[in-house]
Amino acid sequence: MISPQPLLAIAGREFGSMFRTPVGWIVTALYALLTAVLFTLQTIDPGAPATLRYFFTPAAWLLLIVAPAISMRLFSEEYKAGTIEPLSTAPVGPMTIVVGKFTGALASVAAMLIPTLAYPIVLALLADGPLDAGAIASGYLGLLFVAMLYLSVGTLVSTTTDSQVLAFLITLIALVLIMVAAGPAARHAPGFLLPVLAELSVQNRAAVFAAGVLESRHVVFFIATSGALLAGAYASLTIREGR
Amino acid sequence: MINVKDASKSFGPTRAVSTLSFDLEPGRITGLLGPNGAGKTTTIRMIAGFLSPDTGSISVAGCDVRTNPVAARSKLGYLPEAAPLYHELKPAQYLDYRAKLFSLSRPERKSAIARVIDRCRLTDMAHKRIGVLSKGYRQRVGLAAAIVHDPPVLILDEPTNGLDPAQMRTTRALIAELATDRTVLLCTHVIPEVERACARVLVIAGGRLIADGPPDEIGIQTNAIRIECEGQCDQPLRIAITSALGENTKITTAQTQLPRPGWITLNIAPAPNQSRAAGCDPQADIARALAGINRAVRHISGAAAPLEERVVDLIERTAEQEPGARP
Repeated sequence: MISPQPLLAIAGREFGSMFRTPVGWIVTALYALLTAVLFTLQTIDPGAPATLRYFFTPAAWLLLIVAPAISMRLFSEEYKAGTIEPLSTAPVGPMTIVVGKFTGALASVAAMLIPTLAYPIVLALLADGPLDAGAIASGYLGLLFVAMLYLSVGTLVSTTTDSQVLAFLITLIALVLIMVAAGPAARHAPGFLLPVLAELSVQNRAAVFAAGVLESRHVVFFIATSGALLAGAYASLTIREGR
Repeated sequence: MINVKDASKSFGPTRAVSTLSFDLEPGRITGLLGPNGAGKTTTIRMIAGFLSPDTGSISVAGCDVRTNPVAARSKLGYLPEAAPLYHELKPAQYLDYRAKLFSLSRPERKSAIARVIDRCRLTDMAHKRIGVLSKGYRQRVGLAAAIVHDPPVLILDEPTNGLDPAQMRTTRALIAELATDRTVLLCTHVIPEVERACARVLVIAGGRLIADGPPDEIGIQTNAIRIECEGQCDQPLRIAITSALGENTKITTAQTQLPRPGWITLNIAPAPNQSRAAGCDPQADIARALAGINRAVRHISGAAAPLEERVVDLIERTAEQEPGARP
Protein backbone atom coordinates (compact mmCIF):
# COMPACT_ATOMS: atom_id res chain seq x y z
CA MET A 1 0.00 0.00 0.00
CA ILE A 2 1.23 3.51 -0.81
CA SER A 3 0.74 6.27 1.76
CA PRO A 4 0.58 9.73 0.11
CA GLN A 5 2.12 11.90 2.84
CA PRO A 6 5.18 9.71 3.49
CA LEU A 7 5.57 9.24 -0.29
CA LEU A 8 5.68 13.01 -0.81
CA ALA A 9 8.04 13.37 2.16
CA ILE A 10 10.46 10.83 0.67
CA ALA A 11 10.16 12.36 -2.80
CA GLY A 12 10.67 15.86 -1.36
CA ARG A 13 13.77 14.79 0.55
CA GLU A 14 15.25 13.14 -2.55
CA PHE A 15 14.55 16.19 -4.65
CA GLY A 16 15.89 18.55 -1.98
CA SER A 17 19.00 16.46 -1.36
CA MET A 18 19.83 16.53 -5.05
CA PHE A 19 20.12 20.31 -4.91
CA ARG A 20 21.59 20.53 -1.41
CA THR A 21 24.77 18.88 -2.63
CA PRO A 22 27.24 20.17 -5.26
CA VAL A 23 26.75 16.99 -7.32
CA GLY A 24 23.17 17.96 -8.17
CA TRP A 25 24.16 21.41 -9.35
CA ILE A 26 27.14 20.09 -11.31
CA VAL A 27 24.99 17.50 -13.12
CA THR A 28 22.35 20.16 -13.84
CA ALA A 29 24.95 22.64 -15.10
CA LEU A 30 26.61 20.02 -17.33
CA TYR A 31 23.28 18.98 -18.78
CA ALA A 32 22.35 22.62 -19.44
CA LEU A 33 25.72 23.26 -21.06
CA LEU A 34 25.64 20.20 -23.30
CA THR A 35 22.04 20.77 -24.34
CA ALA A 36 22.91 24.41 -25.10
CA VAL A 37 25.68 23.20 -27.41
CA LEU A 38 23.27 20.72 -29.04
CA PHE A 39 20.66 23.42 -29.44
CA THR A 40 23.11 25.82 -31.05
CA LEU A 41 24.61 23.26 -33.40
CA GLN A 42 21.54 21.18 -34.29
CA THR A 43 18.61 23.56 -34.14
CA ILE A 44 19.68 27.07 -35.09
CA ASP A 45 20.01 26.66 -38.84
CA PRO A 46 19.07 29.68 -40.95
CA GLY A 47 16.58 28.78 -43.62
CA ALA A 48 15.66 25.42 -42.05
CA PRO A 49 12.24 24.80 -40.47
CA ALA A 50 12.01 26.03 -36.87
CA THR A 51 11.78 22.82 -34.89
CA LEU A 52 13.29 21.40 -31.73
CA ARG A 53 13.14 17.88 -33.11
CA TYR A 54 16.92 17.72 -33.60
CA PHE A 55 17.43 18.94 -30.05
CA PHE A 56 15.18 16.40 -28.33
CA THR A 57 16.77 13.30 -29.87
CA PRO A 58 20.35 13.96 -28.64
CA ALA A 59 18.98 15.39 -25.37
CA ALA A 60 17.49 11.93 -24.77
CA TRP A 61 20.94 10.42 -25.40
CA LEU A 62 22.42 12.65 -22.70
CA LEU A 63 19.97 11.19 -20.21
CA LEU A 64 21.86 7.95 -20.60
CA ILE A 65 24.57 9.48 -18.38
CA VAL A 66 22.47 11.86 -16.32
CA ALA A 67 19.81 9.38 -15.14
CA PRO A 68 22.29 6.87 -13.64
CA ALA A 69 24.10 9.77 -11.93
CA ILE A 70 20.84 10.71 -10.22
CA SER A 71 19.55 7.22 -9.48
CA MET A 72 22.83 5.82 -8.15
CA ARG A 73 22.37 7.42 -4.75
CA LEU A 74 18.70 6.54 -4.20
CA PHE A 75 19.25 3.39 -2.13
CA SER A 76 23.01 2.84 -2.25
CA GLU A 77 23.61 5.99 -0.23
CA GLU A 78 20.99 4.96 2.36
CA TYR A 79 22.60 1.53 2.72
CA LYS A 80 26.07 2.99 3.04
CA ALA A 81 25.11 5.66 5.59
CA GLY A 82 22.83 3.30 7.55
CA THR A 83 19.89 5.69 7.10
CA ILE A 84 17.90 2.86 5.51
CA GLU A 85 17.36 1.53 9.05
CA PRO A 86 15.37 4.49 10.43
CA LEU A 87 13.60 4.78 7.07
CA SER A 88 12.61 1.11 6.97
CA THR A 89 11.40 1.18 10.56
CA ALA A 90 9.05 4.11 9.91
CA PRO A 91 5.42 3.12 9.27
CA VAL A 92 6.01 3.13 5.54
CA GLY A 93 5.85 0.15 3.21
CA PRO A 94 8.68 -0.71 0.79
CA MET A 95 6.51 0.31 -2.19
CA THR A 96 6.04 3.80 -0.74
CA ILE A 97 9.80 4.08 -0.29
CA VAL A 98 10.54 2.90 -3.85
CA VAL A 99 7.91 5.09 -5.51
CA GLY A 100 8.78 8.07 -3.29
CA LYS A 101 12.45 7.91 -4.18
CA PHE A 102 11.72 7.36 -7.86
CA THR A 103 9.31 10.32 -7.88
CA GLY A 104 11.93 12.54 -6.26
CA ALA A 105 14.52 11.48 -8.85
CA LEU A 106 12.09 12.10 -11.73
CA ALA A 107 11.28 15.52 -10.28
CA SER A 108 15.04 16.23 -10.23
CA VAL A 109 15.29 15.42 -13.96
CA ALA A 110 12.23 17.56 -14.62
CA ALA A 111 13.92 20.42 -12.74
CA MET A 112 17.04 19.90 -14.85
CA LEU A 113 14.95 20.32 -17.97
CA ILE A 114 13.61 23.70 -16.83
CA PRO A 115 16.65 25.70 -18.10
CA THR A 116 16.17 24.09 -21.53
CA LEU A 117 12.78 25.83 -21.79
CA ALA A 118 14.83 28.84 -22.85
CA TYR A 119 15.55 27.12 -26.18
CA PRO A 120 11.98 27.18 -27.55
CA ILE A 121 11.79 30.82 -26.51
CA VAL A 122 15.03 31.64 -28.36
CA LEU A 123 13.87 29.64 -31.35
CA ALA A 124 10.52 31.45 -31.38
CA LEU A 125 12.34 34.79 -31.39
CA LEU A 126 14.53 33.72 -34.29
CA ALA A 127 11.85 31.95 -36.33
CA ASP A 128 9.67 33.67 -38.93
CA GLY A 129 6.47 31.88 -38.04
CA PRO A 130 4.98 30.45 -34.85
CA LEU A 131 6.44 27.25 -33.34
CA ASP A 132 4.42 24.04 -33.06
CA ALA A 133 3.70 24.08 -29.31
CA GLY A 134 2.23 20.57 -29.47
CA ALA A 135 5.43 19.15 -30.93
CA ILE A 136 7.50 20.88 -28.24
CA ALA A 137 5.25 19.54 -25.48
CA SER A 138 5.44 16.07 -27.03
CA GLY A 139 9.25 16.30 -27.19
CA TYR A 140 9.50 17.22 -23.51
CA LEU A 141 7.04 14.46 -22.63
CA GLY A 142 9.27 12.04 -24.55
CA LEU A 143 12.32 13.20 -22.57
CA LEU A 144 10.42 12.64 -19.31
CA PHE A 145 9.36 9.16 -20.42
CA VAL A 146 12.94 8.26 -21.33
CA ALA A 147 14.14 9.63 -17.97
CA MET A 148 11.41 7.62 -16.26
CA LEU A 149 12.60 4.39 -17.85
CA TYR A 150 16.29 5.05 -17.21
CA LEU A 151 15.63 6.09 -13.60
CA SER A 152 13.58 2.96 -12.94
CA VAL A 153 16.51 0.83 -14.17
CA GLY A 154 18.77 2.87 -11.88
CA THR A 155 16.37 2.53 -8.94
CA LEU A 156 16.35 -1.24 -9.30
CA VAL A 157 20.15 -1.40 -9.53
CA SER A 158 20.54 0.95 -6.56
CA THR A 159 18.51 -1.40 -4.33
CA THR A 160 21.09 -4.13 -4.91
CA THR A 161 24.32 -2.43 -3.82
CA ASP A 162 25.65 -0.02 -1.23
CA SER A 163 28.22 1.37 -3.67
CA GLN A 164 27.07 4.41 -5.60
CA VAL A 165 29.87 4.01 -8.14
CA LEU A 166 28.86 0.42 -8.79
CA ALA A 167 25.20 1.42 -9.06
CA PHE A 168 26.12 4.10 -11.62
CA LEU A 169 28.29 1.76 -13.69
CA ILE A 170 25.84 -1.17 -13.66
CA THR A 171 22.96 1.12 -14.67
CA LEU A 172 25.01 2.73 -17.43
CA ILE A 173 26.18 -0.65 -18.75
CA ALA A 174 22.63 -2.03 -18.64
CA LEU A 175 21.28 0.97 -20.58
CA VAL A 176 24.10 0.81 -23.15
CA LEU A 177 23.55 -2.94 -23.59
CA ILE A 178 19.84 -2.36 -24.23
CA MET A 179 20.74 0.33 -26.73
CA VAL A 180 23.31 -1.85 -28.49
CA ALA A 181 20.93 -4.80 -28.54
CA ALA A 182 18.23 -2.67 -30.12
CA GLY A 183 20.64 -0.90 -32.49
CA PRO A 184 23.92 -2.18 -33.96
CA ALA A 185 23.58 -5.75 -32.61
CA ALA A 186 20.07 -6.09 -34.04
CA ARG A 187 21.52 -5.99 -37.57
CA HIS A 188 23.32 -9.25 -36.89
CA ALA A 189 20.53 -10.91 -34.92
CA PRO A 190 18.44 -13.82 -36.28
CA GLY A 191 15.26 -12.75 -38.04
CA PHE A 192 12.85 -13.96 -35.38
CA LEU A 193 14.54 -11.71 -32.79
CA LEU A 194 14.29 -8.52 -34.86
CA PRO A 195 10.76 -7.51 -33.80
CA VAL A 196 11.65 -8.04 -30.12
CA LEU A 197 14.86 -6.02 -30.39
CA ALA A 198 13.07 -3.27 -32.30
CA GLU A 199 10.62 -2.98 -29.43
CA LEU A 200 13.52 -2.41 -27.05
CA SER A 201 14.71 0.70 -28.85
CA VAL A 202 14.18 3.58 -26.46
CA GLN A 203 15.80 6.08 -28.82
CA ASN A 204 13.42 5.20 -31.67
CA ARG A 205 10.47 5.75 -29.38
CA ALA A 206 11.96 9.04 -28.13
CA ALA A 207 12.38 10.10 -31.77
CA VAL A 208 8.65 9.59 -32.32
CA PHE A 209 7.88 11.93 -29.42
CA ALA A 210 10.50 14.40 -30.72
CA ALA A 211 8.70 14.43 -34.06
CA GLY A 212 5.58 15.61 -32.24
CA VAL A 213 3.72 12.32 -32.54
CA LEU A 214 2.05 11.01 -29.41
CA GLU A 215 1.37 7.30 -29.81
CA SER A 216 -0.34 5.43 -27.01
CA ARG A 217 1.74 2.27 -27.59
CA HIS A 218 4.92 4.17 -26.76
CA VAL A 219 3.30 5.75 -23.70
CA VAL A 220 2.17 2.31 -22.54
CA PHE A 221 5.65 0.89 -23.19
CA PHE A 222 7.39 3.48 -21.02
CA ILE A 223 4.83 3.28 -18.21
CA ALA A 224 4.59 -0.53 -18.20
CA THR A 225 8.35 -1.11 -18.40
CA SER A 226 9.08 1.45 -15.69
CA GLY A 227 6.34 -0.06 -13.52
CA ALA A 228 7.81 -3.55 -13.95
CA LEU A 229 11.30 -2.31 -13.05
CA LEU A 230 9.98 -0.51 -9.95
CA ALA A 231 8.17 -3.71 -8.97
CA GLY A 232 11.58 -5.38 -9.26
CA ALA A 233 13.06 -2.69 -7.00
CA TYR A 234 10.24 -3.30 -4.51
CA ALA A 235 10.97 -7.05 -4.55
CA SER A 236 14.70 -6.41 -4.14
CA LEU A 237 14.12 -4.10 -1.16
CA THR A 238 11.68 -6.52 0.44
CA ILE A 239 14.14 -9.39 0.09
CA ARG A 240 16.90 -7.25 1.55
CA GLU A 241 14.71 -6.21 4.51
CA GLY A 242 13.71 -9.79 5.16
CA ARG A 243 17.34 -10.93 5.48
CA MET B 1 4.01 -3.39 25.44
CA ILE B 2 6.68 -5.48 23.72
CA ASN B 3 5.96 -9.16 23.49
CA VAL B 4 8.59 -11.48 22.04
CA LYS B 5 7.61 -15.12 21.81
CA ASP B 6 9.97 -17.86 20.61
CA ALA B 7 11.59 -15.52 18.10
CA SER B 8 14.47 -16.98 16.09
CA LYS B 9 16.60 -15.52 13.34
CA SER B 10 19.37 -17.05 11.26
CA PHE B 11 21.73 -15.55 8.73
CA GLY B 12 22.64 -18.44 6.48
CA PRO B 13 24.05 -21.19 8.71
CA THR B 14 24.56 -18.82 11.66
CA ARG B 15 21.79 -18.71 14.21
CA ALA B 16 21.79 -15.15 15.56
CA VAL B 17 18.78 -15.45 17.87
CA SER B 18 17.29 -18.67 19.13
CA THR B 19 13.74 -19.05 20.56
CA LEU B 20 13.88 -15.80 22.46
CA SER B 21 10.91 -14.88 24.65
CA PHE B 22 10.21 -11.94 26.95
CA ASP B 23 7.59 -9.30 27.74
CA LEU B 24 8.28 -5.68 28.54
CA GLU B 25 5.97 -3.62 30.69
CA PRO B 26 5.23 0.09 30.25
CA GLY B 27 6.80 2.87 32.30
CA ARG B 28 10.25 1.46 32.84
CA ILE B 29 13.63 1.02 31.23
CA THR B 30 14.83 -2.48 30.45
CA GLY B 31 18.47 -3.03 29.63
CA LEU B 32 19.58 -5.50 27.00
CA LEU B 33 23.08 -6.75 27.72
CA GLY B 34 25.36 -9.27 26.11
CA PRO B 35 28.77 -9.68 24.49
CA ASN B 36 29.46 -8.71 20.88
CA GLY B 37 27.64 -11.04 18.51
CA ALA B 38 25.24 -12.16 21.25
CA GLY B 39 22.21 -11.27 19.15
CA LYS B 40 21.26 -7.94 20.79
CA THR B 41 21.14 -5.88 17.63
CA THR B 42 19.35 -8.65 15.74
CA THR B 43 16.77 -8.76 18.54
CA ILE B 44 16.08 -5.04 18.50
CA ARG B 45 16.07 -4.95 14.71
CA MET B 46 13.40 -7.65 14.73
CA ILE B 47 11.33 -5.70 17.26
CA ALA B 48 11.77 -2.50 15.23
CA GLY B 49 10.65 -4.31 12.08
CA PHE B 50 13.95 -3.90 10.22
CA LEU B 51 14.46 -7.66 10.21
CA SER B 52 11.78 -10.27 10.06
CA PRO B 53 11.96 -13.18 12.54
CA ASP B 54 12.23 -16.63 10.88
CA THR B 55 9.99 -18.19 13.50
CA GLY B 56 8.04 -17.00 16.53
CA SER B 57 6.16 -13.76 16.94
CA ILE B 58 6.87 -10.23 18.08
CA SER B 59 4.29 -7.61 18.87
CA VAL B 60 4.58 -3.95 19.79
CA ALA B 61 1.66 -2.41 21.70
CA GLY B 62 -0.51 -5.31 20.56
CA CYS B 63 0.42 -5.10 16.86
CA ASP B 64 2.30 -8.00 15.31
CA VAL B 65 5.43 -6.74 13.54
CA ARG B 66 5.06 -9.28 10.75
CA THR B 67 1.35 -9.28 10.02
CA ASN B 68 0.70 -5.61 10.87
CA PRO B 69 4.07 -3.91 10.39
CA VAL B 70 2.87 -0.39 9.66
CA ALA B 71 0.72 -0.22 12.83
CA ALA B 72 3.52 -1.76 14.93
CA ARG B 73 6.10 0.72 13.58
CA SER B 74 3.81 3.67 14.21
CA LYS B 75 3.90 2.84 17.94
CA LEU B 76 7.63 2.57 18.05
CA GLY B 77 10.48 5.05 18.30
CA TYR B 78 13.83 3.60 17.28
CA LEU B 79 17.32 5.00 17.59
CA PRO B 80 19.73 2.73 15.71
CA GLU B 81 23.36 2.48 16.76
CA ALA B 82 25.43 5.55 15.73
CA ALA B 83 22.22 7.49 14.93
CA PRO B 84 22.36 7.46 11.11
CA LEU B 85 21.13 10.82 9.79
CA TYR B 86 21.07 12.84 6.58
CA HIS B 87 23.99 15.19 6.99
CA GLU B 88 22.83 17.70 4.41
CA LEU B 89 19.64 18.44 6.38
CA LYS B 90 19.21 20.66 9.42
CA PRO B 91 17.77 19.08 12.59
CA ALA B 92 14.47 20.94 12.18
CA GLN B 93 14.21 19.76 8.53
CA TYR B 94 15.06 16.18 9.49
CA LEU B 95 12.50 16.16 12.30
CA ASP B 96 9.88 17.55 9.91
CA TYR B 97 10.74 14.77 7.43
CA ARG B 98 10.45 12.11 10.14
CA ALA B 99 7.14 13.57 11.34
CA LYS B 100 5.81 13.39 7.78
CA LEU B 101 6.84 9.73 7.56
CA PHE B 102 4.61 9.17 10.59
CA SER B 103 1.78 11.02 8.80
CA LEU B 104 1.51 13.82 11.36
CA SER B 105 -0.61 16.75 10.20
CA ARG B 106 0.98 20.19 9.75
CA PRO B 107 -0.14 21.59 13.16
CA GLU B 108 0.85 18.31 14.86
CA ARG B 109 4.26 18.45 13.20
CA LYS B 110 4.85 22.02 14.27
CA SER B 111 4.08 21.35 17.92
CA ALA B 112 5.86 17.97 17.95
CA ILE B 113 9.05 19.41 16.48
CA ALA B 114 9.05 22.33 18.96
CA ARG B 115 8.46 19.86 21.80
CA VAL B 116 11.29 17.46 20.91
CA ILE B 117 13.75 20.23 20.08
CA ASP B 118 13.11 21.65 23.52
CA ARG B 119 13.17 18.27 25.25
CA CYS B 120 16.41 17.16 23.59
CA ARG B 121 17.96 20.59 24.11
CA LEU B 122 18.55 21.22 20.43
CA THR B 123 17.26 24.78 20.23
CA ASP B 124 20.66 26.31 19.45
CA MET B 125 21.45 23.70 16.82
CA ALA B 126 18.05 23.32 15.13
CA HIS B 127 19.07 25.35 12.09
CA LYS B 128 22.65 24.16 11.60
CA ARG B 129 23.42 21.36 9.17
CA ILE B 130 23.55 17.94 10.86
CA GLY B 131 26.89 17.31 9.14
CA VAL B 132 28.58 20.05 11.18
CA LEU B 133 27.13 19.00 14.55
CA SER B 134 29.16 17.16 17.20
CA LYS B 135 28.51 13.47 17.82
CA GLY B 136 26.61 14.28 20.99
CA TYR B 137 24.25 16.63 19.18
CA ARG B 138 23.75 14.13 16.35
CA GLN B 139 22.83 11.53 18.97
CA ARG B 140 20.30 13.99 20.37
CA VAL B 141 18.88 14.62 16.89
CA GLY B 142 18.48 10.85 16.48
CA LEU B 143 16.75 10.65 19.84
CA ALA B 144 14.49 13.58 18.98
CA ALA B 145 13.59 11.85 15.70
CA ALA B 146 12.76 8.67 17.61
CA ILE B 147 10.25 10.48 19.84
CA VAL B 148 8.85 13.07 17.41
CA HIS B 149 5.64 11.02 16.97
CA ASP B 150 5.36 10.47 20.74
CA PRO B 151 5.57 6.66 20.62
CA PRO B 152 4.63 4.52 23.61
CA VAL B 153 7.63 2.25 22.98
CA LEU B 154 11.22 3.38 22.57
CA ILE B 155 14.16 1.23 21.48
CA LEU B 156 17.62 2.71 21.87
CA ASP B 157 20.71 0.97 20.54
CA GLU B 158 23.88 2.21 22.25
CA PRO B 159 22.50 5.74 22.78
CA THR B 160 25.60 6.95 24.65
CA ASN B 161 28.18 5.28 22.41
CA GLY B 162 31.08 7.65 21.73
CA LEU B 163 29.78 10.45 23.93
CA ASP B 164 31.92 12.28 26.47
CA PRO B 165 31.01 11.88 30.18
CA ALA B 166 29.00 15.12 30.29
CA GLN B 167 27.04 14.18 27.16
CA MET B 168 26.49 10.69 28.57
CA ARG B 169 25.03 12.14 31.73
CA THR B 170 22.72 14.46 29.79
CA THR B 171 21.56 11.64 27.51
CA ARG B 172 21.00 9.31 30.48
CA ALA B 173 18.89 11.95 32.22
CA LEU B 174 16.88 12.46 29.05
CA ILE B 175 16.24 8.73 28.67
CA ALA B 176 15.16 8.49 32.31
CA GLU B 177 12.79 11.41 31.71
CA LEU B 178 11.36 9.73 28.59
CA ALA B 179 10.83 6.45 30.41
CA THR B 180 8.33 7.90 32.86
CA ASP B 181 5.48 7.27 30.44
CA ARG B 182 7.03 4.85 27.94
CA THR B 183 8.43 1.38 27.58
CA VAL B 184 12.13 1.78 26.91
CA LEU B 185 14.44 -0.99 25.74
CA LEU B 186 18.05 0.11 26.11
CA CYS B 187 20.71 -1.89 24.34
CA THR B 188 24.17 -1.00 25.59
CA HIS B 189 27.65 -2.20 26.44
CA VAL B 190 27.96 0.29 29.27
CA ILE B 191 26.98 -1.75 32.30
CA PRO B 192 27.10 1.11 34.84
CA GLU B 193 24.53 2.79 32.61
CA VAL B 194 22.26 -0.21 33.00
CA GLU B 195 22.83 -0.30 36.76
CA ARG B 196 21.84 3.35 37.05
CA ALA B 197 18.95 3.51 34.63
CA CYS B 198 17.30 0.11 34.28
CA ALA B 199 14.68 -1.49 36.44
CA ARG B 200 15.16 -4.77 34.63
CA VAL B 201 17.98 -6.42 32.71
CA LEU B 202 17.88 -9.04 29.96
CA VAL B 203 21.18 -10.80 29.31
CA ILE B 204 21.65 -12.45 25.93
CA ALA B 205 24.48 -14.76 24.97
CA GLY B 206 24.74 -16.98 21.92
CA GLY B 207 21.35 -15.75 20.77
CA ARG B 208 19.62 -17.01 23.93
CA LEU B 209 18.20 -15.22 26.93
CA ILE B 210 20.36 -16.35 29.84
CA ALA B 211 19.14 -14.00 32.57
CA ASP B 212 16.20 -11.74 33.22
CA GLY B 213 15.63 -9.72 36.36
CA PRO B 214 16.43 -6.56 38.33
CA PRO B 215 20.09 -5.46 38.02
CA ASP B 216 20.88 -6.31 41.64
CA GLU B 217 19.60 -9.87 41.20
CA ILE B 218 21.22 -10.70 37.85
CA GLY B 219 23.76 -13.49 38.13
CA ILE B 220 23.52 -13.53 41.90
CA GLN B 221 24.52 -16.80 43.46
CA THR B 222 23.00 -16.85 46.91
CA ASN B 223 26.06 -18.54 48.39
CA ALA B 224 28.61 -16.33 46.59
CA ILE B 225 31.47 -14.91 48.65
CA ARG B 226 33.75 -12.00 47.90
CA ILE B 227 37.10 -11.69 49.63
CA GLU B 228 40.06 -9.39 49.49
CA CYS B 229 43.24 -11.18 50.51
CA GLU B 230 46.98 -10.85 50.31
CA GLY B 231 49.05 -12.33 47.47
CA GLN B 232 48.13 -13.88 44.14
CA CYS B 233 45.43 -16.28 43.07
CA ASP B 234 47.97 -19.09 43.01
CA GLN B 235 47.78 -22.84 43.51
CA PRO B 236 48.14 -22.85 47.35
CA LEU B 237 45.32 -20.33 47.62
CA ARG B 238 43.05 -22.35 45.31
CA ILE B 239 43.79 -25.56 47.19
CA ALA B 240 43.04 -23.88 50.52
CA ILE B 241 39.68 -22.56 49.30
CA THR B 242 38.57 -25.77 47.57
CA SER B 243 39.56 -27.82 50.60
CA ALA B 244 37.35 -25.55 52.70
CA LEU B 245 34.35 -25.32 50.34
CA GLY B 246 34.53 -28.32 48.01
CA GLU B 247 36.17 -29.44 44.80
CA ASN B 248 33.79 -27.71 42.37
CA THR B 249 34.08 -24.27 43.90
CA LYS B 250 34.62 -21.64 41.23
CA ILE B 251 37.22 -18.97 42.00
CA THR B 252 37.56 -15.92 39.77
CA THR B 253 39.69 -12.84 40.16
CA ALA B 254 37.53 -9.73 40.38
CA GLN B 255 38.42 -6.80 38.16
CA THR B 256 38.61 -3.98 40.65
CA GLN B 257 39.24 -0.51 39.31
CA LEU B 258 41.83 0.44 41.93
CA PRO B 259 43.40 -2.77 43.29
CA ARG B 260 45.62 -2.39 46.33
CA PRO B 261 49.20 -3.41 45.47
CA GLY B 262 49.86 -6.94 46.73
CA TRP B 263 46.19 -7.65 47.34
CA ILE B 264 43.57 -9.34 45.20
CA THR B 265 39.82 -9.52 45.26
CA LEU B 266 38.23 -12.89 44.54
CA ASN B 267 34.72 -13.99 43.73
CA ILE B 268 34.10 -17.44 45.14
CA ALA B 269 31.12 -19.48 44.07
CA PRO B 270 30.70 -22.81 45.85
CA ALA B 271 29.14 -25.50 43.66
CA PRO B 272 25.34 -25.19 43.85
CA ASN B 273 24.87 -28.87 44.76
CA GLN B 274 27.57 -28.79 47.43
CA SER B 275 26.17 -30.50 50.48
CA ARG B 276 27.10 -28.75 53.66
CA ALA B 277 26.42 -29.51 57.24
CA ALA B 278 23.72 -27.49 58.94
CA GLY B 279 25.04 -24.44 60.76
CA CYS B 280 28.36 -24.37 58.87
CA ASP B 281 29.80 -20.97 57.95
CA PRO B 282 31.58 -20.87 54.56
CA GLN B 283 33.03 -17.40 55.21
CA ALA B 284 34.57 -18.58 58.48
CA ASP B 285 35.86 -21.72 56.73
CA ILE B 286 37.60 -19.62 54.08
CA ALA B 287 39.08 -17.28 56.68
CA ARG B 288 40.49 -20.27 58.57
CA ALA B 289 41.83 -21.87 55.39
CA LEU B 290 43.61 -18.69 54.31
CA ALA B 291 45.01 -18.16 57.80
CA GLY B 292 46.37 -21.71 57.48
CA ILE B 293 48.50 -20.68 54.48
CA ASN B 294 49.47 -17.33 56.02
CA ARG B 295 47.37 -15.15 53.75
CA ALA B 296 45.97 -12.06 55.43
CA VAL B 297 42.31 -11.29 54.70
CA ARG B 298 41.23 -7.66 54.64
CA HIS B 299 37.61 -8.13 53.72
CA ILE B 300 35.25 -11.06 53.39
CA SER B 301 31.54 -10.89 52.70
CA GLY B 302 28.61 -12.54 51.05
CA ALA B 303 27.98 -9.33 49.14
CA ALA B 304 27.37 -9.62 45.44
CA ALA B 305 30.01 -8.70 42.91
CA PRO B 306 29.33 -5.64 40.74
CA LEU B 307 26.88 -6.21 37.87
CA GLU B 308 29.66 -6.16 35.28
CA GLU B 309 31.44 -9.08 36.94
CA ARG B 310 28.22 -10.98 37.48
CA VAL B 311 27.23 -10.58 33.83
CA VAL B 312 30.66 -11.65 32.59
CA ASP B 313 30.61 -14.58 35.00
CA LEU B 314 27.12 -15.53 33.88
CA ILE B 315 28.14 -15.48 30.22
CA GLU B 316 31.24 -17.56 30.94
CA ARG B 317 29.24 -20.08 32.97
CA THR B 318 26.68 -20.37 30.15
CA ALA B 319 29.46 -20.93 27.62
CA GLU B 320 30.94 -23.65 29.86
CA GLN B 321 27.57 -25.37 30.30
CA GLU B 322 26.82 -25.22 26.57
CA PRO B 323 30.20 -25.66 24.92
CA GLY B 324 28.58 -26.12 21.52
CA ALA B 325 26.74 -22.82 21.76
CA ARG B 326 27.87 -19.91 19.63
CA PRO B 327 30.17 -17.67 21.73
